Amino acid sequence: MRLKIIRLVIASFFVVLGLGLIYLQIIQGQHYYNLSVNNRIRVVPIEGIRGRILDRNGIILADTRVSFDVFVVPQELEKEKEMFVFLSKTLDVDQKELEKTYKKKMIAQFVPVAIAQDISRDKAIVLEEHKFRFPGLIIQLGAKRDYPLKSIGAHVLGYVGKMSPSKKIKFKEYGYAIPKITGYSGIEEYYDSFLKGKDGGLQVEVNHRGEQVRLLGMRTPVRGQDMTLTIDSRIQKIAADCISKYIGSIVVLDLDSGEVLGMVNSPSFDPNVFVKASESNKRAKLFSDPKAPMLNRAIGGQYPPGSVFKIPLAIAALDSGKITANSTFSCNGFYSLGRRRFRCSHSHGMQNFTEAIAHSCNVYFYNVGLILGAQKIREFAHLFGLGMRTDIDLPYEEKGLIPDPDNYYKRAKRRWSKGDTLNFSIGQGDVLVTPLQVVNMMATVARDGKEIPPRLLKSAADIKKVQGYLERDINIPKPYFDLVKGGAKAAIADYAGTARVLYMKDLLVMGKTGTAQTSGKKKTHAWFAGFCPETKRKIVFCVFLEHGGSSYNACRVAKELLQSMKKQNIL
Amino acid sequence: MNGNLKKIIFTLIVVIIVIGLVALYSASYQNIRVPRKIFYGQLVMAILGIGAIWALSYFDYRKFYDMAYILYAVNIIFLIGIFIFGRYALGAKRWIEFFGVNFQPSELMKLSVILVLARYFTDQKPTISFYRQSLKGGFWADLLIPLFLVVFPMLLIFKQPDLGTALLLLGIFVVILYASGISYKYFLGLLVFCAMAVPLLWSVMKPYQKDRLLVFLNPNIDPLGAGYTIIQSKIAVGSGQIFGKGWLAGTQNQLNFLPERHTDFIFSVIGEEWGLIGSFFLLSCFFALIMLGLNVVEQTKEKFGYLAALGIITIFALQVIINIGMVLGLCPIVGLTLPLVSYGKSSFLVFVLMLGFLLNLSRRRTIF
Repeated sequence: MRLKIIRLVIASFFVVLGLGLIYLQIIQGQHYYNLSVNNRIRVVPIEGIRGRILDRNGIILADTRVSFDVFVVPQELEKEKEMFVFLSKTLDVDQKELEKTYKKKMIAQFVPVAIAQDISRDKAIVLEEHKFRFPGLIIQLGAKRDYPLKSIGAHVLGYVGKMSPSKKIKFKEYGYAIPKITGYSGIEEYYDSFLKGKDGGLQVEVNHRGEQVRLLGMRTPVRGQDMTLTIDSRIQKIAADCISKYIGSIVVLDLDSGEVLGMVNSPSFDPNVFVKASESNKRAKLFSDPKAPMLNRAIGGQYPPGSVFKIPLAIAALDSGKITANSTFSCNGFYSLGRRRFRCSHSHGMQNFTEAIAHSCNVYFYNVGLILGAQKIREFAHLFGLGMRTDIDLPYEEKGLIPDPDNYYKRAKRRWSKGDTLNFSIGQGDVLVTPLQVVNMMATVARDGKEIPPRLLKSAADIKKVQGYLERDINIPKPYFDLVKGGAKAAIADYAGTARVLYMKDLLVMGKTGTAQTSGKKKTHAWFAGFCPETKRKIVFCVFLEHGGSSYNACRVAKELLQSMKKQNIL
Repeated sequence: MNGNLKKIIFTLIVVIIVIGLVALYSASYQNIRVPRKIFYGQLVMAILGIGAIWALSYFDYRKFYDMAYILYAVNIIFLIGIFIFGRYALGAKRWIEFFGVNFQPSELMKLSVILVLARYFTDQKPTISFYRQSLKGGFWADLLIPLFLVVFPMLLIFKQPDLGTALLLLGIFVVILYASGISYKYFLGLLVFCAMAVPLLWSVMKPYQKDRLLVFLNPNIDPLGAGYTIIQSKIAVGSGQIFGKGWLAGTQNQLNFLPERHTDFIFSVIGEEWGLIGSFFLLSCFFALIMLGLNVVEQTKEKFGYLAALGIITIFALQVIINIGMVLGLCPIVGLTLPLVSYGKSSFLVFVLMLGFLLNLSRRRTIF
């Protein structure tokens, strides 16, 4: 009896086992089969090499080169101590430092840990020769972005970095994915999808350790496109050199085509810093620096334009018929509005149109501004692209600001007053523009009203000729432009012109200075925006010095820039 | 009892051993982690073992009755000796070196406990009393003394630590006690007591043993640590589907995803490479062997042989059920081998002895 019960109990257990087998192998069979396939097949991504960035003459601005990285697989380590001693000797790094990075970066036993990145070729060869002594040591080839011009023109190029950690985790399963590199700011970000290569990969069969057993398939990676920019790296070098003592930016455009020939900011940064893992300190410093070296001031900095703003104002006044070339106003050093006095730089006396521009007479333009009215000024500022994005092919362009007198109350909590109109007339008050807007405005004036949006891309493999940029004609009669240009010419040619320092016998320069007051007790911003209409390559440019003092400083920088360009036979 | 039964059982044993060898050859085929020499070692053991089983079947099994207490005492000494001379491997002290051969006393203890219990109950009352259910020994003699005989080696084995074998001894005790005709009052009392002791057991378990139990409940809590084995084992068996991936072609096995595939997890190799057909065949062989073994027990009229044979079948059945159960993820991983199939000299040797004993009974008409 009891034996029968034992028999029954055992038999029922076997029934359970049999059912378990049927469940696993038939009902769940396909599922587990798929799991077993996933278990053994891995896709090892091979990153497509990022395309190069070239200047208009084919000089390399950003390149991808081979780098050597040292990895350690924790679970395969045998002689840990010995290996670290060897590594510290070969790599010339403190042994404790190496062990610290190793411990810090270790995620799991089977995930390779990056001990040192981008070591020199010689060191890599030495390590490769001794690799057999230390199982678990891997020297891996990688691709590293390289910027040969370093900090010159860095803001145009941007930089590359690893994708944000949240995205990375998705690729990280089993630690096989190479962290993806992506562009940040500048051309690297704007044209990231073009520059980025198409990733290929190896399909390999692996064992439990993830070691390759055999190769099952391969898809070759595709190289990203090379992008040729309109930038001239000679101009970049000159401009960077000229402005290095100041904070500010220089933008140089080709007058005929609107192509950006140069765009530099100071202070700048070295994009190579973002490539090397070991330079995280330098990176952190860049972001915390109060001088904001990462900011592309030419498109992302917003400043009051000061007297440069008088150019659109002058055209507005002529076009609306409020004044003629012969209209004169008398300047005795200030303009009285009620009890307030709005000052001028000097007591200019009687000023006609040309003189007013050449001498940058505030009182003249106070009068003009009041005749025009704030709304009209605003209309013409917008007409010349001030306070609007130029839509240049760079990310993070700022808009600036042209105040709207009708909706002023909403923002300022007070009504727009006549005094505001006066400030507005000389580019002060709430007006904010970017240096690129100023140079673009100057270019439109120099072209007699034809606006060509500035751009950086000259060509790429897919794009033979860059199209789709809207050229626009501002319908203002040419004589008015000639009058304004006369003033801009006089600013340099006239003995009392504000930009007299720029006078050069062999080079005709026209332009307008600007000295913009800023809030607080900081020094004024210095502007000079001008163009060279008679050189072999016609250019229009803008020099902006943040808290650079008088516009005289900007003129000095501009002169240095033009002279160097002339010397190098660019102009 | 006839020679026919003996021949069938013997054939089943040989078939199971051969299946084990085929699986072990595949498990060691890549020569990574599981070296080839394991297969050749087991091959030699198998040939000697089959011979030994045949030879043992002619041996007078009553000698086991005489040796029972001596064997038990010597085995206890070995178990204590482990703590002094034992070899440390895989996080446990289970092996002792004996004339240059590594030996696992806990394996032999299974046989010793069976023999000593069988002898104890035989001495208590020499006839098989199916009809009058209760022995007249009372609580002390019927329950506590035999319980002590089991619990003492159990604790020693548990200390090694080897939870699986320790619990196996308890299983043998329960079945033999039940078969010896103890009153249901005592028997159920023991089961209740065991159930109450579970929380106590939890508190003295090693962390890794707790992990295994938790992982059994949910393997995904630690898929790369404690849960790894069970997940990989289930993938292996399940992916075999109906016809299997073919001999030497199981990816889980050949690419090393299966840990312990030559010992505790050999069944997953069979499940992966031979599919449902192969695993059902092996399961049927085991089932037939156990059922025929119980026939042998049924036909044995002498109490010592009866109880000892029942103990042997019990341990055989328990190990098959628990081992395959853990490979399929139906019970926690406790580290028990699959009899006659798993690699492991001590385990194999003890099963050879036990099955030799069983065949010996099947041959004899032992009527007292």
